Amino acid sequence: MTLTIEMLYPEIANLHGDNANIEYLARCIPKAQVVRTGLNETPAFVSGKVDLVYLGPLTEKGQMRAIARLTPFKARIEELIQSGTHFLFTHNAMECLGSRIVNSEMNYDIPGVGIFDFSSDVRMFNRYTGKVMGSFDGVSQPIVGYKSQFSMVSDSPETPGFMTTTRGIGRNTTTHVEGVRVNNFIGTSLIGPVLVMNPHLTEWLVSSLVPSRKPELALKDFALAAYDARLREFQDNRTWSAFERVTR
Amino acid sequence: MTEPTVPVSGDRHGPRYGLRALAAVWLGKCAGIVLRLLGREGTHVPGRVALWVCPNLLCVIGRPNTVIVVTGTNGKTTTTNLLADSLEALGFRVSSNRAGSNLRDGIVATLIDGVTMWGRCRSDVAVVEMDERSALRVLPELAPNIVVCTNLTRDSIKRNAHPEFIAWILSSALSPTTTLVLNADDLITSSLGSDSNRREFFGVDPKGDEPREPSGSAVDASICPRCDERLEWDFWRFNHIGRVHCSACGFNSPSADTRVSLVDAATGLSALTINSETVNIRVVNDSIVNVYNLAAVAATLDVLDVAPQMIGSIVESLTPPSSRFADETAGGVRIVRLLTKGLVGVAVSRAFEHICSVPGNKIVLLAIDETTDRFDGVENTAWTYDADYEYLADPSITAIYVGGVRRHDQAFRLAMAGVDPKKIVVVESETHGADLAPLDNVDVVFNLYSNHNAEVTGDAVQRTLRTRLLEKTS
Repeated sequence: MTLTIEMLYPEIANLHGDNANIEYLARCIPKAQVVRTGLNETPAFVSGKVDLVYLGPLTEKGQMRAIARLTPFKARIEELIQSGTHFLFTHNAMECLGSRIVNSEMNYDIPGVGIFDFSSDVRMFNRYTGKVMGSFDGVSQPIVGYKSQFSMVSDSPETPGFMTTTRGIGRNTTTHVEGVRVNNFIGTSLIGPVLVMNPHLTEWLVSSLVPSRKPELALKDFALAAYDARLREFQDNRTWSAFERVTR
Repeated sequence: MTEPTVPVSGDRHGPRYGLRALAAVWLGKCAGIVLRLLGREGTHVPGRVALWVCPNLLCVIGRPNTVIVVTGTNGKTTTTNLLADSLEALGFRVSSNRAGSNLRDGIVATLIDGVTMWGRCRSDVAVVEMDERSALRVLPELAPNIVVCTNLTRDSIKRNAHPEFIAWILSSALSPTTTLVLNADDLITSSLGSDSNRREFFGVDPKGDEPREPSGSAVDASICPRCDERLEWDFWRFNHIGRVHCSACGFNSPSADTRVSLVDAATGLSALTINSETVNIRVVNDSIVNVYNLAAVAATLDVLDVAPQMIGSIVESLTPPSSRFADETAGGVRIVRLLTKGLVGVAVSRAFEHICSVPGNKIVLLAIDETTDRFDGVENTAWTYDADYEYLADPSITAIYVGGVRRHDQAFRLAMAGVDPKKIVVVESETHGADLAPLDNVDVVFNLYSNHNAEVTGDAVQRTLRTRLLEKTS
C-alpha cells in the first residue's frame, strides 16, 4: 500500500532548506507518494487518507496565509491528531496552530488556528540564533539542530513538548521544553533540516510510519558521519555561547 | 551628445553644523589620518569615532545635493563602483565608499572624507553603498535622492532571514519622495516603496534559452501578490529572478524602462533600450549578475537625465570586476579558482551553475565552510539545502573532494543532490584534496574556497595543483 506524505503550501513554506526533510524521508520510504498541495487547493487530508502532513518554514505573511487556509479545517486537524496521523511542522509552521501570533513591529496580533494553547511573540529586530541538543522519547541518541528565528513560543504546560533540551533553549529562553508532541504530531522550531541532521529520529519516524518493515535509512553512511561529527562538536562545552542557555 | 543635468551645486545641511558636529568631523578625520599612518584599513573607524562624539552626525553633515544609495543582496559593491566611475567620467566630483564599508559607521566615514575641515562638501555627487539591513539606521538620516536596489535574494539565514524581511526593512525606511531604481526582474525588489515614490525599473531581456519553470531550491516569489494564485513564468533565470504573470488576475512583472538585450553573448554585443530609445553597445559579460549591474547603472543615469546615447557610451566603457575567479592553465589543464561564499545559498548556486556550464571533464575541490561564523557565534548549516548542489551531479564532473570541518555535511548534501557517492571523496584537510585528485583525463579542476580561507586554502590548493600539473608535464 502506498504511503502518502502531504506537503502543504510548498510554494510559500520553503524557507531555510527545510523541504529537504521530506526529500530525505521520501528517499527512506521509496514507495512514499508525495502530494504537494498549493495555497489555493483543498488539502488532501481533508477528505482522504494521508499518512504524514508536513508544513515548513514560512515568512510572516506566509504564516498569515497558512492560518487563513488551515482554520476552516481545524476540526479535521484535531480529529487526525487524535487518531494518530503523523504531522511534522517545522520552524515557525508550528506557531500557526497556536492561539495567537503577536508581531508588534509589523503591527499585527492575529489568532492562530487555535489547536494548541501557546502563543508566539515575533520580534523582527531580535532574531535568535543558537544550537540545540536534547532528548526525544523513542530515540536514545540526542537530537541536534539549530534555531534561527524571530519568534518565541510561550510556555504551555498543557501541551507536551517534542523534546527536552540538555543544551540550548526550548520554546523560549526560559524553558527546556522545545516544540510540541501530541500523539504523532511533531512540531519543532529546529531547522537543519531536522530529519536530515538526525538520522536516528528519521529512522524512528520511518518505523512509526511503516511498522511492518525494518527501517532503512537512505545514504546511511553519509547521514551518520555528519550526525556523529556534529554530536561530537555539540558535546564539546567550548562550542556553546553564554546566550545559548535557558535562563530562569 | 547632450550634457547631463545632474544637480551639482552646493551641499545640503552645511549650515546646521554645530560645534559638536564639527568636532566629530575633526576627530573622524584625525582617526582616518592615524589609521593611514599605521597602514591599517578600518574604513569604518573614523565614522564610529565621529558618531560617538555626535550621534546625529549623519543628519547634519554636509553632503552634495545628489546622494545616491545603492543596496541589494548581490552586486551592490560593483554597482556602486561602476556608478561612481560613470559619474566621474561625466566630470563630477564623486565621494563614495568604494571599499565597501557599507554600515552606518562606514557611510559616515565616507561623508567625513568628502567634507573640508570646516564641514563644507567637496563633491558634486555621493554614491553610497549601503548594507540592506542598515536601511532604518541610514536612510531617514541620510535622506538620499535616489535609492538603487540591485536585487533581494536569500542571504545568510542567521542575519537576513528571508528577502521579504529585508524588503520590509527597506520599505519602512524609504521616504515617499525618494526616487527608486529597481530590478524589474525581481518581484520582491520591484515591490519596494509605495505609489508615492517615483520608480524606474531596469531589466535584462530573456535570452531565448531560459526555462519557463523554476528548478532551483529557493524560489521566493511563486504566488501572485494580488490573488495568491501560482504565478506563471515568462522566463526563469535563478532563484526568483525572471518575469512572471498571473493568469487569474492579470498581474505582471513591471515593465523595465531600461533594458539590456544580449544580442551576441560571445562578443557582448547588446542593445540598451532606455525609454524606447535603443543604442547598440558592447558589454563585458562574464555573468548575468554583471549585466544586471550595468543595467542598474544605466537606469540611474537615466534618472539623472543623462542622454541615452551618452549612457550607452559610458556603460560600454565600464569594466565590471570579473566574477571572483582566476583561470590559469598548467600542463594543459585549466585550474579555475572560484570564490564560493559559504552561508549564502544563492552565491553557491551560481558558482555550481558556472561549473556545470564549463565544457570538459571536471574535478571539483570543495572547501567552502565559513568558519568565522563558528568563532563569532553560531554556525548554521541549513543554507546548504537552500543551495543548488544538484548542478554538481552533472556527469562531466568525475570527482568531488570535500575537505574542512563541515566535510561530512557537505558530502551528505552532495549525495542528497544526486552526486554518485563513488565520486565523493571526503578528506579532513581543506587542502589535501589537491594532493589526492587524479589529474589524468581531466580538462578543468575547480578550486572552490570561501571568504575566510582565500589564502590558507584557495592559494595553497592553487599552488599544489599548479606544481603537480607542471611536474606531470615535465
